[in-house]
Amino acid sequence: MAQQTDVPPQTDPAPAPEKAEIPRRKHRDPNEAGLGVKILGYVALLIVVAMVMVPLYFILITSLKTHPDIYSDPITWWPNPFAPGNYSYAVSQVNFVGFLRNSVIITGGLTVFKVALGVISAYAFAYLRFPGRGLLFLLVIAALMVPDQITIISNYALVAGWGWRNTFQGIMLPLAGTAFGTFLMRNHFLSLPREILEAARLDGTGFGRTLFRVVLPMSWPTIVAFTLITIVTEWNQYLWPFLIADTDRVAPLPVGLTQLQQNEGLTNWGPVMAATVLTAIPILIVFLLLQKQMIKGLTAGAVKG
Amino acid sequence: MIGRRGFLALAGLSAAAATVGLSACAGGTGSTAGDGQKGNGTLQFWSNHPGSSKALEEQLIAEWTKQHPDVPVQLVDGGSSYEDLATKFNAALAGGDLPDVIVASDVTWFNFALNQATAPLDDLWKEAGVDANSYVDTLREDYAFGGKHYGMPYSRSTTLMYWNSDVLAQAGLEKRGPQTWQEFADWAPKLVQAMGGKPALVIPDGSNYLDWYFQGMIWTFGGKYSNEWTPTFNDPKSIEAGKFLQDQYKAGHIGIEKDANNTFGIGGAAGLLQSTGSLTGLTKAAKFPFITTYLPGPKPGATTGGAGLAVPNGISHERKINAVKFIDFLTNMQNTITFSQGTGYVPVRKGAENEAAMKTYLEQNPNAFTAIKQMADGNTAPQDYARVFVPGGGKRIGGGLDKITLGGEDVATVFASMQQETQQSYDRDIKPLL
Repeated sequence: MAQQTDVPPQTDPAPAPEKAEIPRRKHRDPNEAGLGVKILGYVALLIVVAMVMVPLYFILITSLKTHPDIYSDPITWWPNPFAPGNYSYAVSQVNFVGFLRNSVIITGGLTVFKVALGVISAYAFAYLRFPGRGLLFLLVIAALMVPDQITIISNYALVAGWGWRNTFQGIMLPLAGTAFGTFLMRNHFLSLPREILEAARLDGTGFGRTLFRVVLPMSWPTIVAFTLITIVTEWNQYLWPFLIADTDRVAPLPVGLTQLQQNEGLTNWGPVMAATVLTAIPILIVFLLLQKQMIKGLTAGAVKG
Repeated sequence: MIGRRGFLALAGLSAAAATVGLSACAGGTGSTAGDGQKGNGTLQFWSNHPGSSKALEEQLIAEWTKQHPDVPVQLVDGGSSYEDLATKFNAALAGGDLPDVIVASDVTWFNFALNQATAPLDDLWKEAGVDANSYVDTLREDYAFGGKHYGMPYSRSTTLMYWNSDVLAQAGLEKRGPQTWQEFADWAPKLVQAMGGKPALVIPDGSNYLDWYFQGMIWTFGGKYSNEWTPTFNDPKSIEAGKFLQDQYKAGHIGIEKDANNTFGIGGAAGLLQSTGSLTGLTKAAKFPFITTYLPGPKPGATTGGAGLAVPNGISHERKINAVKFIDFLTNMQNTITFSQGTGYVPVRKGAENEAAMKTYLEQNPNAFTAIKQMADGNTAPQDYARVFVPGGGKRIGGGLDKITLGGEDVATVFASMQQETQQSYDRDIKPLL
């Protein structure tokens, strides 16, 4: 995401999508790589794909295997017989729909809050002049360096003291701070051309209006990237929700699905993997949807340069 | 300009003040341990549902609510393992808002007791009218420390051996377990041959409680992890047991695996050394007949394990009494039988095996009877302090045993370093608190 700040300034706040095709031509470079390098590149690519895909593939086929099939020796690469029953088992054994709803509420709420907070605070850091701005920003960056685990005890005391254990606000509030978002967006805002902002001011655009009409339209790729990162992080949040959530009423998927694992005795990994696949699907969809937006923005910027 | 500056500065200041004030408040609520926390009138039971017992627990709680409508109980999900639950309870200890009853495993209860995070129960038993003597003695005494008890047995297990009956027959052996580890060593080549080269016995590795399973083995050699607080890894007999394990592993007689249950379940080994808690799962999963047997002697050759229930110390006296009554109910004769049949854990009250409901069950499931008989026969004993009381003991010993088996390192060297680390940990973490 950081490279985004290096993209040359764009002048058109509303990028035309059809121009996204143009940069492909750049591939026809006269200094094209030699055959050896090409092969090397493909081999590297294959290795990377295998490293990423094989575990994913394994999760997928395991989710469709029967219990003895999972542990067969040698390993089988195709489920035999197919056991789609793992999915219905996983969904019926634990309160999957409830956990999914909680996950959506927590992730959705946190994402909206964090993105808004990140954008607004970054806007202030980038364009407002106030005493101690540098110091305050340093503090924000310092907050980036503090792992979440360190603050858990004090957060717990606070939330428990308010009687917010086992509530959505109790889970969400301590997670809602976003030093990373402020940092990312502020740096992006600073890379925007000053001239446009000055022109807007000359036209009499107010401080708030400038944000929505001038700054944000030039910032979609970064915001989308930030949103994506936030969604993935919050979706997979485990430790804090685990400490605060007591029942199915507010527990998100990662916390709830641990109930599929056995403490002593046998864990049947089929349903566990089925639940894992089901948990990953919403994020995959979000990723596919937002990725398009992100690429659109990225390429539009490149063309205008 | 000055106006805005002033405003911003003020805003920053007041935000900081608010934060400080709030955290001070929170600290206050957490540390008012004088009278104990009153709670909100609902008894909170934090459980990790050992042996997939969530539905069972809900059923027992519903029964309790019928009899005690004035003390409603809330079942709280405490994660998937005993360690998860300990994490959650630790957070509550630091941050306030304590539960009424928690599941505390063989390795977690002592640390809580030592730091006075959980309450001594003896006086509470008297006041609540709980007959502690009706618990199986060895299971109750597992929670004794300094003359007081800090837990009541709940999901209790012992180590068991599982043998594939077909393979025993094929190897020309009797349908029983080996009576000594020496007999096992004699049997092993035949079993390995009958298995086509696969190991005669598979045991979970150090990250899956090998330290628990090996504890019985080391006793039969006359060794020990520790004699009360004095580590005895350096004892020649302890080292002899370690060498036996190493030799059997090297010879291919014993396999050490992460998921030993499944290796045995798919026919990857003739025998399995595991917890009673695996019985229900294996009965469903294995496609061949198998028997369960005692661990090899001489007695005692097996350890007890599993978890009990404890009561936090920081709650009000009234809540403690209710908590003890609730635990007493949860583990009363009828309920411990229900729980045992649903999970494979052993019943925790004396004489449960003579109750009609249990008798029929045991007749139909002789494999489930082995654990109970093993305890009644005196083949089980409480665990060594070095594993369950010294912080990080289980993990330390499990890692050491991995080193001598999977890692092939020298037994005497590894045991000497365990000796030293255990001693250090004791001197640093335990001794000052005793």
